[in-house]
Amino acid sequence: MSLLPNCMALRLAWRETRADWRRFTYFFVCIALGVAALVGVGLFAANMDRAIQREARGLLAADVELRTARPLTPEGETILARFDGRGIARMHVSELVAMAAASAGTQLIELKAVEPGYPFYGKLRADPEDAPAALFGGSQVLAGETLLIRLGLKVGDRLKIGQADFRIAGVLKKEPDRAAGAFSFGPRVLMSGQSLDATQLVQPGSRVTHRYLFKLPEALSPRAVQGELASTFPDKTLRVSTYQESQPILRRFLRQLTMYLGLVGLIALMVGGIGVAGSVRAFLKEKLETIAVLKALGAESRTILQVYFTQTLLLGLVGSLAGAALGAALQIALPPLVKTWLTIDLEFQFAWLPFVRGVAMGLLTTALFSLWPLLEVRHVRPNLIFRREVSEEPAGSPGRAAWIAGALLALALAGLALWQAGSWRAAGLFIGALVAALGLLQGAAWLAVRLARFIAGARAPIGMGSDAPAPRARAGRAGRSLSLPGLSLIWRQGLANLYRPGSQAKTILVSVGVGVMVILAIHLVERNILWEIGENIPADAPSFFFIDIQPDQKDAFARLMAERGHADIRLTPLVRSRLWALNGKPVRRENHEEREHDWYYTREYVLTFQEGLPKDNVVVKGQWWDSPGSSGHMRVSVEEEAAHRLGLDLGSTVAFDIQGATVSGTVTSIRKVEWGNMSTNFYFIFEPGALDGAPMTYVATARVNPTEEVPLQRAVVAAFPNVSAINIRDVLDSVARVVDRISLVIRFMAGLSILAGSVVLAGALAATRFRRIYEAMILKAVGATRGTVAGIFAVEYALLGAAAGVIGTGLAVALAWGVGRWILDVKWLFQPAALAWGIAATMAGTILVGFLSTYRILGQKPLPVLRRE
Amino acid sequence: MIAIRNLSMRLSSGGREVSILDDITLEVPAKQFLAIVGPSGSGKSTLLGLIAGMDAPTAGIIALDGRDITNLSEDELARLRREKVGYVFQSFHLIPTLTARENVAVPLELAGDHEAVHKADALLRAVGLEARGHHYPAQLSGGEQQRVAVARAFANRPAILLADEPTGNLDTATGQQVIDLLIRLNHDHGSTLVLVTHDQTLAAYADRVIRLLDGRIASDELRSPAFGAHP
Repeated sequence: MSLLPNCMALRLAWRETRADWRRFTYFFVCIALGVAALVGVGLFAANMDRAIQREARGLLAADVELRTARPLTPEGETILARFDGRGIARMHVSELVAMAAASAGTQLIELKAVEPGYPFYGKLRADPEDAPAALFGGSQVLAGETLLIRLGLKVGDRLKIGQADFRIAGVLKKEPDRAAGAFSFGPRVLMSGQSLDATQLVQPGSRVTHRYLFKLPEALSPRAVQGELASTFPDKTLRVSTYQESQPILRRFLRQLTMYLGLVGLIALMVGGIGVAGSVRAFLKEKLETIAVLKALGAESRTILQVYFTQTLLLGLVGSLAGAALGAALQIALPPLVKTWLTIDLEFQFAWLPFVRGVAMGLLTTALFSLWPLLEVRHVRPNLIFRREVSEEPAGSPGRAAWIAGALLALALAGLALWQAGSWRAAGLFIGALVAALGLLQGAAWLAVRLARFIAGARAPIGMGSDAPAPRARAGRAGRSLSLPGLSLIWRQGLANLYRPGSQAKTILVSVGVGVMVILAIHLVERNILWEIGENIPADAPSFFFIDIQPDQKDAFARLMAERGHADIRLTPLVRSRLWALNGKPVRRENHEEREHDWYYTREYVLTFQEGLPKDNVVVKGQWWDSPGSSGHMRVSVEEEAAHRLGLDLGSTVAFDIQGATVSGTVTSIRKVEWGNMSTNFYFIFEPGALDGAPMTYVATARVNPTEEVPLQRAVVAAFPNVSAINIRDVLDSVARVVDRISLVIRFMAGLSILAGSVVLAGALAATRFRRIYEAMILKAVGATRGTVAGIFAVEYALLGAAAGVIGTGLAVALAWGVGRWILDVKWLFQPAALAWGIAATMAGTILVGFLSTYRILGQKPLPVLRRE
Repeated sequence: MIAIRNLSMRLSSGGREVSILDDITLEVPAKQFLAIVGPSGSGKSTLLGLIAGMDAPTAGIIALDGRDITNLSEDELARLRREKVGYVFQSFHLIPTLTARENVAVPLELAGDHEAVHKADALLRAVGLEARGHHYPAQLSGGEQQRVAVARAFANRPAILLADEPTGNLDTATGQQVIDLLIRLNHDHGSTLVLVTHDQTLAAYADRVIRLLDGRIASDELRSPAFGAHP
């Protein structure tokens, strides 16, 4: 059967729409919101991508960059020198965390030391504008505004960093190669390489990132130089990148962010689709008589279907276009939300692709969700007009054609969703999860309605029409229901509204439930992340880390701390290394780059040696070294998860590269570590003696009273300028801020699906408006006050809200748990308060939207309504 | 008793005013059985609805037991109906999601009667439907539905019983049952009964017959002394 319209169908469709356009407000808004979400994210992603492409060279500040966590060996320097003289310009940039001190106090900073000519690309901005030039003349620095605020400084004031004093030449506004400040230890400070030497902050074992920037002449391809660098350097832990792949973390982060946003937008569209189905169904119910008359006059089912399908698609198109325009308008709202952690200049440019894709998805959604209710038109019988009592819903199955058409549309929609997400795996998983969630919601909604019927003690089958079932069938059902004679009229009527014929309860439950699920799941995940990183700190956790203590400062540091009443500090040796070999097989970085959990292979490992088992560690396999071991292989203890990921077991050998030297050990124990205890925890611990001679620094942890923090910090910086004090609370605060910003963006998008859910709710209630008025007026006619009628509505909405809240909350818990377990790898924290809030807020929202949609019914006069019957 | 003075009702339809009732003045003493007859569109049903306070007139006064109801609020009118007025509709208007017994119990429950269900059973017995109490409206025949509606209208023993073409949707035999029921209630309990009908044979049972024509009283005829002629 063809659904393609002919002229007559088009004409009729237009007439129907013209006469009834107001009826389609909800339909229209539902589609528009979903499309707005998709187009909004699509345009945002496109603009972001374009901005990154445009600023790519600037984002690296160079054509090619060589990055390493340790200083180049003389050998390495020689290799680098070979690149000179081919028209290639080169400079060295160092980045590290340090302490800055002024009279007002001390502050952890992120320090960057550059050479003249920085940056090769992009622009370094400062206030005053000529301030960057001052970097290379005398002891001057550029400091971020937050530093000035925190230490109460202004341009021209003096600042102590390490062993040297500096004048603040200007306010650092923007470094081109610092786009993703997603995580920051503190305010930024920029100085020259020479000044960095003067601070004496760079000591053996210090945590410094060295970047060697290359500017190539036009003729040289960055990729060729990249290949040459990568192959000539013996150290495989170096990372060489070109500007085309600059900011891989930023790019991946943005790609994932926009992907998730797109998927959340898709949820809004699906919720809108539910609204479309509801609207179309309600509209057709009112059109039953018209349809019957058309049929009595000789119209075929096909013609009628064409009329309404054409009408639906036209409205879907207009709604999609309006939504796409709204999505473009969202570009005003989205960029400011991400601006705080992105310094890329986003300029709005219109892109056709997301626009067209959004409109196509809107149309497909309209077609998919309206097809089913529309096909029921075929079952309307012409004799309907001769009866006053109109059966609630035309019975009959949609038929095979409907299943095929539906499957095709669903496939097309899934295809577009995959295209939108850009990742088959993620989108496939998402669509699977969404379909499963919708299925579960449907099932739960069905159960909830059954339950309402059971509680109310109703005995008639749902969907009773004018053909009354035989009394015998009813008698059989009576035994299975719970009759509560004590249930008051208000409660009984409110309950009955949930399962009555033509009730929209299931539509409402599903659409509101989806919204609740998404918003709450995001909240739960966020809470779990925050809890994982901070809120589960034990009471005895240290509040300060002192890093980069040199071996020769160790005793003096301990003395200083003891003098200030901190005899209990723990000094732990740290040796920085990379994985070299597992069971004798060398670990090659490039083999693990793209693999899942590659991080375990390629990351830098901080090693330590220790006599006793650290606090909060439990040996789960093997034995801790209580007795001296035999000579030969040194013993090493591995953390459980790392052992699992790296395939290590008791007896395995593991070798590390420590600045060119190799140290290996045999695994003799596997430990479980309480990572959340905020102490120094290690994946690998060697037995004492194993790391002798390796370059090491010490880290000290201490618990400090808040009042003592500043004086202690100052005393430490004065005595040991190279030592940095990290206040754990500050770090956790900044992590929490970033998590908060990211979840804000996601919540903003999820808010659109909540909005769509509200529209569906309002639309569904509006669809039952006539029934509601009718019954309210009967009740009034027999003496019910407005209060009684309002009470019945309130009971209905509260029950709907409670059911949607419970269902949505349940699914949110499942979703958040799954995301935490399989995607984010965070521990699960059950949060009853958040769940209770979720249910309560859903109830309140449902009651509010319900009343806004129906309060006008209360004031109606009974006679005009009842006479119209 | 019902006192109506200078009652007018105008509605706007398609942008122009249509007069439904025009300056009606009428008194119905307590316990009278009044039939209002007239052609379709003469304003019969509107008049009945206004007496029940289900709409507000454009002008005029309606007093029930000496109390003007035209200035009452929606809720006051609802309470008034609950206490004083029973109403039977042409198309029954039972609540489809409630059983027959529950439908009858609704006015009693609204009045806060704790024995609502028990009394509803008694009322159903009185209309001969004690066996159908647990059935839904859709499972009842038209005559049964209207008897349930009569039982519901009478649930609170209202002083005034208003019936709007109660037999209009029923066949003759069933209609007769319903009308017998109404007249019996009028007699046994001394309720004032106002019956709107275009059926002259039904009107013949009434103590008094008013004929409406184009919203005005065309004739007002007292058939016999009150309670006199009864089948």
